Formats: sequence, C-alpha cells, structure tokens
Amino acid sequence: MRSEQETNRAIALYSDMIRHICLYHLKSIEDTEDVFQNVFLKYLLYDGTFMNADHEKAWFIRVTINACKDFLKSLFRHKTVPLETLTEEAAHIDPDHREVLEAILSLPAKYKDVIYLYYYEGYSAAEIAAIMKSKENTIYSLLSRGRSILKEKLGGDEFDK
Amino acid sequence: MTNKIHDAFDQIQASEEIKSSTMQFLQTQREKRHPHPTRFVWRNAAAVFLAIFVLILGAGGYYTIKIPVSYVSIDVNPSLELALNRFDRVVSATAYNEDGESILNCVKVKGESYQNAIDTLVESEALQPYLTENSMLTFTVAANDPEKANTILNAIENCASCQNHQGRGYTADVTSIAKAHECGMSFGKYKAYLILSEYDNNVTTEECRNMSMAELHHQIQERKHKHEQEHEHE
Repeated sequence: MRSEQETNRAIALYSDMIRHICLYHLKSIEDTEDVFQNVFLKYLLYDGTFMNADHEKAWFIRVTINACKDFLKSLFRHKTVPLETLTEEAAHIDPDHREVLEAILSLPAKYKDVIYLYYYEGYSAAEIAAIMKSKENTIYSLLSRGRSILKEKLGGDEFDK
Repeated sequence: MTNKIHDAFDQIQASEEIKSSTMQFLQTQREKRHPHPTRFVWRNAAAVFLAIFVLILGAGGYYTIKIPVSYVSIDVNPSLELALNRFDRVVSATAYNEDGESILNCVKVKGESYQNAIDTLVESEALQPYLTENSMLTFTVAANDPEKANTILNAIENCASCQNHQGRGYTADVTSIAKAHECGMSFGKYKAYLILSEYDNNVTTEECRNMSMAELHHQIQERKHKHEQEHEHE
C-alpha cells in the first residue's frame, strides 16, 4: 500500500489532468469526485512498479478513462441532471475558452480522449495508441475526424493540423 | 488550435476541496486496511492455511482447465488457432498473421466452447470482408486423441457458420503444430503447404505463408492436375 507521502505527491501532480478527463466524460461535479477518489484509491492499492514518470502518468490516464466509462455504466451514478454545458464551476472562464471546451464536451465520446491527449497533453499518435491499447492508424483516424468536427463547430484554419 | 485547446483546459483545475477530500478518503481507506495487530495474526494464519488448501485443490483443477488437448486452426486469409481444454473450451486464441491479429483484437473467445467461438469469429463483423465469393474458409483440427479430433471436426462441419460459408474441414497430425509455428504459420496453413509440396518440391514455407487459403488451394489443384497429366504419359 502506498504511503501518504506518495499519494499526496500523486494528487498534487495529476489532479488537474484527472479533472480534465472527468470534465469531458462525466459532466456532473458529484460524479467527478467519486471517480477522483476511485482513481487514487486504485493508486493507493496498486502494488506494481512504475518504470518512470511517463509510465506512471500513462497509468493514471488509462485508469481515469476506464473509471469514467465504468462509472457512466454504473447504477450508482448520481441522479443529478447532467450538465450539457459548463456551469458555475466554470463560470470564471472567458467566452472563447468556454466555446472551445463546450465543443470538446459535445464531441462523440470516442474522439474526446484522443483530442485531449494529443492537443493538451502533447502525446503523439503512437504514444496515444500505446496508452489506449489501440492501433496507431485508429488513433490517426479518430484525430482526423475529431478535428473535422471541431472545425465545423469552431471554424478557423487551426484545425487543419 | 493547439494553443486554443491548451489554453481552454488550462482554465480548469481540480479544486483544493476535491484534493483534500480525496486525501481524507485515502487516509480512511488506509486505516480500514490495517486492522488490530493481535487479530491480524490469527486472520493471517487462517488465510495462509486456506491459501495452501486452495493451491493444492487448484493445481489439479489448473491441469484440467488450462492445459490444451486439442486445437482448431481457422484459415481464410486471416490465420487463427484456438487451443481447447479437455472440456472443449478455448484456453487461448492466437493469430498467425496481421489479418488474424486484427480479428482477435476485436473478437474475444477465451472460455467459450469451440462451437460458440467459431460461430462468433466467423460471423464477426471483422471477418466478413475476408469471406468473399472467391475466398476459402478452412478448419483444421488436431488433437492428442485422433477420435477426439474427428468428433470436433464433425461438430465444426455441422456448425451453422461453417455451412453458411462453405467451410472445409481437415484433420492434421498434432506433431505438425510445432513445426508449423517454427515456420510462422498456423498448422492449418502448414497442412496446405505440406500437400502442395507433395506436387511441387520447390515451393517454400515463405511463399505459402503469404498466400490465402484460396490461393493455396488453387496452387494445389493446378500442381495436382499437372502431376497427374505427367504421370499419365509415363
């Protein structure tokens, strides 16, 4: 079982990333807290060794994505009305950023992780394929289609690459 | 766009509240998992005895459940092999080419009866593009017990998926499996190579490895016909 020092270090390092993944998958604040605790509990109890920081980060990404998907299928989801758009928590965000986030939230689920991992976390398609245990060609296809959808929603030339 | 998405997500952070509630939650979990020391010793001893008992019981069960005793090679262009335990259930599914790998990435059959596994694989969306008018679906069965091999083959030939796609069934010697794998082929395709090499001893495993079963079958028919013609004139 990992020490308090280890888990506190992980919480400091990965909380924002986990929050981002929960935001575009779950949409509900209460569900985010449940998944958050679930992910770090898994970390607390995980007795494997990480080869390096990148390996540990990839582990957190995979576990968080899986936890979100499991939670969405679970009967124990909070019965709160799901947020179709960002609400009070994101009220401080300026309209341009809000528009981008809402566009990403509205993407079909299969594009969200790939878009986030590529454009925010800076992973290559090959690295995303390894994290998600998928084929590189599949990731390229998802990226391409995700980009097209974002371009339709947000316009501009930036989504051509 | 990279900056836009990056900047947008940068506006979202995990709150101090969620971090501290998570730290508290983890602390509670730690305390739950460290029971009173004296009780821990007794529980530990009971757990060890139970584990030993289960291990001894499990070892015999492991042999029965996990060890393969028969094998089915499914070849079209994708080449797959199913290994079956004595209960005729799939203990492993292995691909012998890229097409086969793409099928197994989408279709999971471990633990299924071989009939269900074959139906699932053959009727899967992933395999449909390979089952064309000109393709040839073959099932090759090998088993330690030859009677078992024939029983399995008969059952496969009567499967809906075999009949719907004009599948052909063969048996192979279980001793050929290792040699087939050394050549990087399923034993079903290796059997076809062995038949072809009877009519043409110049053909190599490298050539056959990349052929579909339909191509191999065509080559066999051609060489066989030529061989028969040559021998007619002797």
